[in-house]
Amino acid sequence: MDGETAVSNPSESDDREHSVDDAATSRRKVVMAYRMVQIAVVAGLVWKGSFFRIADQVDGEIPLADPFFPDWARSASVVRWAYLVAVLTTLVGALIANRWGRLRTLAVAAAVASLSILCVHQATYNDATFTTSWWTQLWSFWFCTRMERDRPDRLLRRGAFAARAIGSMILIGGAVGKWTSEYWSGEVFYDIYFRERQYWTFNWVRGHFGPETLREIATWYSRGVVVTETVVGLGMWLMPPRAAATVGVVLFTSIALFSNHLLFSVMWCLIGLSAVGFLVPATPSSKP
Amino acid sequence: MKTKVSDAPLPENSQARDPLFPVLLLAIGAVTAWLLLTPWVPAVAQATMKRFHLRSRSFAAWALQAPIPAMYNFANQYEVRELPEDLIVSFLEPESNRRYINHFPLRVLTFADGRYRHLRPGKDRWVTVWTRYRGQQIKTVIHAKPVGGGGFEWIVQEAD
Repeated sequence: MDGETAVSNPSESDDREHSVDDAATSRRKVVMAYRMVQIAVVAGLVWKGSFFRIADQVDGEIPLADPFFPDWARSASVVRWAYLVAVLTTLVGALIANRWGRLRTLAVAAAVASLSILCVHQATYNDATFTTSWWTQLWSFWFCTRMERDRPDRLLRRGAFAARAIGSMILIGGAVGKWTSEYWSGEVFYDIYFRERQYWTFNWVRGHFGPETLREIATWYSRGVVVTETVVGLGMWLMPPRAAATVGVVLFTSIALFSNHLLFSVMWCLIGLSAVGFLVPATPSSKP
Repeated sequence: MKTKVSDAPLPENSQARDPLFPVLLLAIGAVTAWLLLTPWVPAVAQATMKRFHLRSRSFAAWALQAPIPAMYNFANQYEVRELPEDLIVSFLEPESNRRYINHFPLRVLTFADGRYRHLRPGKDRWVTVWTRYRGQQIKTVIHAKPVGGGGFEWIVQEAD
């Protein structure tokens, strides 16, 4: 009996130590996930920083009195401060990711509020940077309210599930709007990208193929985009966390890399959000 | 000193209530459902087309749609003219400079690059935008009229 106890006790102690180590690692991964997403959001927001600096000047010098927008949604100073607050609060959130829970929550709430303004302001409503950042910071708000309350493995699983659901929704949004004859024929992408857009992929294609082949390439490029967005959009949320993370990071990176580097302002936050799936502990079940 | 998140003890109750999580999933689900209805329910597509042309019933109704992703959606075209669209123009500017644009076609006037390019000279501009989606089409004509001090008045000339 004593002998059995002597044998089993160290084993239990090892298990306990093992589980404590796992918990600490998971805790670090929770902080890492939050910080990584905040850094990705900041990267996206400042990616076109020089453009927004010039835009600030243009918005102030050429006001547009469209009565559809209330005064505050046309104001150059409102859009300027909303942008600065979004960047600064997200940056603060990244810096204090590991402590001061209430301040962290306040910071991300301020980021969501200022991004909400940017999504409906006359000068910025069309820029998808703020739509994807808004969804990412909505996720961050939920995530940071759970960082001290949930078991880390459960929080990471849920976080990754919500992240890939957001990724799926964004892709479905892109796909549904392209289920048209103009996109299936490649007409839209041909005019926007292939005719004269100065970017390495399109410059290369124009330099190597004649006009007829160029038009055909545009058709197959467009069909490829429509099919990829549809298939991945409908399927990504159902995938296991790490597979979805890989698909998300590769796809969102390649969209910007191969079509327009300015799109990184839209994509960085989605790349960061997708990468949360890499931090989910390997378990038999990956249900949220 | 406050405990760091990474050093904090594990919560004993791992099933603590998390009311925000279902709210977040519900929001994602609602937007996804709206998106998937777009090709099949003309009213949904029409709402998005009017959203693109800044012609929703009200600013509030338009702003409510802001979280719905709309990247490279629908066939949007625009044309910027220095003269109003009438018979004289068809003689003076016979060549159409109609081009495709990714989404929110009125960005040619509202977003900084287009605002600078078209309005910096401080002269009248007439912008026509078209959006088509699976058999539906809307057209809007805007007259950007200089009002002094670099500013412009936004006049909706045609909306059909």
